[in-house]
Amino acid sequence: MNPVEVNQLSKTFETREGKLFRKVPKSVVAVEGINFNVPEGEIFGLLGPNGAGKTTTIKMLCTLITPTSGDAFINGFSIAKDQQKVRENLGVMLTGERTLYWKLTGDENLEYFAALYHLDSTYAKGRILDLLKLVSLDDRQDTLVENYSTGMRIRLSFAKALLNDAKVLLFDEPTASLDPQSSHLIRDMIRDLKRQGHAIILTTHNMEEADLLSDRVAIIDHGKIEALASPSDLKQKVKSSDIIEIEARNLDERTVGAMQSLGEVSKVAVTSSPHPGETELLRVHVEKGKEVLPRILEFLVRKQVTITRVSFIEPTLEDVFIAETGRSLRD
Amino acid sequence: MKSTSGLRADVQALSAIFWKGLKHHLRYPGEFAIYLSLPFLFTFLILGMGNAVGGSNAASFFAARTGTTNIVIYEILGSAVWMVSWVVIEDVGTAIRDEQIKGTLEQNFLAPVRRFTLLVGLSLTDVVITSVIFLIVVGVAVAVVLPSSFLTIIPAFLMLLIGLIPLFGIGFLFAGFVVRFKEPYIFTQIVNLIFATLTGTYYPVAFLPYWVQLISDALPQTYVIADMRRIMLANQTLVNLYGSLFVLLSLALAYPIIGYAVFRRVERKAGVTGEFSKY
Repeated sequence: MNPVEVNQLSKTFETREGKLFRKVPKSVVAVEGINFNVPEGEIFGLLGPNGAGKTTTIKMLCTLITPTSGDAFINGFSIAKDQQKVRENLGVMLTGERTLYWKLTGDENLEYFAALYHLDSTYAKGRILDLLKLVSLDDRQDTLVENYSTGMRIRLSFAKALLNDAKVLLFDEPTASLDPQSSHLIRDMIRDLKRQGHAIILTTHNMEEADLLSDRVAIIDHGKIEALASPSDLKQKVKSSDIIEIEARNLDERTVGAMQSLGEVSKVAVTSSPHPGETELLRVHVEKGKEVLPRILEFLVRKQVTITRVSFIEPTLEDVFIAETGRSLRD
Repeated sequence: MKSTSGLRADVQALSAIFWKGLKHHLRYPGEFAIYLSLPFLFTFLILGMGNAVGGSNAASFFAARTGTTNIVIYEILGSAVWMVSWVVIEDVGTAIRDEQIKGTLEQNFLAPVRRFTLLVGLSLTDVVITSVIFLIVVGVAVAVVLPSSFLTIIPAFLMLLIGLIPLFGIGFLFAGFVVRFKEPYIFTQIVNLIFATLTGTYYPVAFLPYWVQLISDALPQTYVIADMRRIMLANQTLVNLYGSLFVLLSLALAYPIIGYAVFRRVERKAGVTGEFSKY
């Protein structure tokens, strides 16, 4: 049995929306019948935009949210039936820096959580010191967390997830809001944990991170897994298309929508804004790019779009996402 | 990995939760000034109002209705127990919500520690804090006004410790309500004011309408306040008060069970609705 097995896992939230006294019930499907397994020594990436269902999936796996249907097994324990055992067998890092007690020191935070994870107190002392060294916080262990930088807090949260040395680790956006140096440190540590044989689930909306770290990636959108394979296999799928990246000004949604109707264009999406408010990056998937490029540029110029740069690029996981969903990860 | 299990694991977790809570309180020391000053301020307020209403006959009117002329001790006991009740209801009732707002609640719930241990651990910190508040407030008042009865603080304090158990049960109940309905301080402040009105904090419960007294009889503070007054102002012993002690012990059994059951129900519902992630 794999350390993580997910079978037809679904979550629908029942809410009430509308004005006071006129609220109507509404069902929101957050996760819909997803399946995947994670073997030992694998980093499994869940890639998708905000609201795709990544965090709901993670929270179901760590028993914070009850699934509507389906089940998942952590080291053989059901998240629906053996919640206590599941918690013992998991190390979890949820997104955000407010997952620690700011009025406690780094050392006090880890001591507290070590006790909640039932670590033997003598063993815990050594383990905490090792982990503080691992995340380069051993020289700041007696400083209140409120005086830590964001990067230090995230690193401490990371150390907290490793306290009980669980075989299965869940990292929810572990490098969100981190500087490149801290992100690099966290990614290196995740790779080390993989080498030690941990089964790791990593959620991210950062395609480079998913590409760099994951052995396999599930692309998730609107609660469904749209594609699941290794990053190279996923990218291979879109290799048959040429991908043109256009940096432009005065690009509006109507123009982007109208581009879809050009016969030669299979998919198009705005991916990011290198200079927000000024330029945006457009990803265009086409057959025979060099032949089609002049017509695309002519179309954009006719729509009074100012083009500042054009290049052919190698496909990334973002292109896989665009090909599968017709949208960019930013949407 | 070396881990503990069973009772040892629970005791270790309880100790960690207790120290975490205590360190938090000690690192926000301003609240202690309020806890220690409010019982005296409220007592002075009542004394002032009594004098304004009763004039030179205030003390004799008071004695006729309460059986004692020692207004200060009578009122300070009510105030101190009310303050203790305030701290317990506010701390236990809002602790879960506070953790939710801070973002640390989910971190606690990710751990294999039992929910009951978490709630009891939160309460243990308050046992120490409320004990300190009570002993300082009542100790100072008795030392100044009634030094000959100083040792009666011991049975009065025992009474308080018994009364804390059902009070924590009520705290668990409110912890559940607060998770469900949010807005913790509106809940706890209204409840604390209602408790002050119903439990004989500043006047005998017998002055309340009969049907209101039935509600008072269901609240542990009513017995704690009345019995403390009997111990300190009427030379009664705990043995003489076995009747109300029995009621208090019954409440000590019932409220934690009811409170924890409600909390667990709300918690399970929160798992379905995703409530713990909502602010």
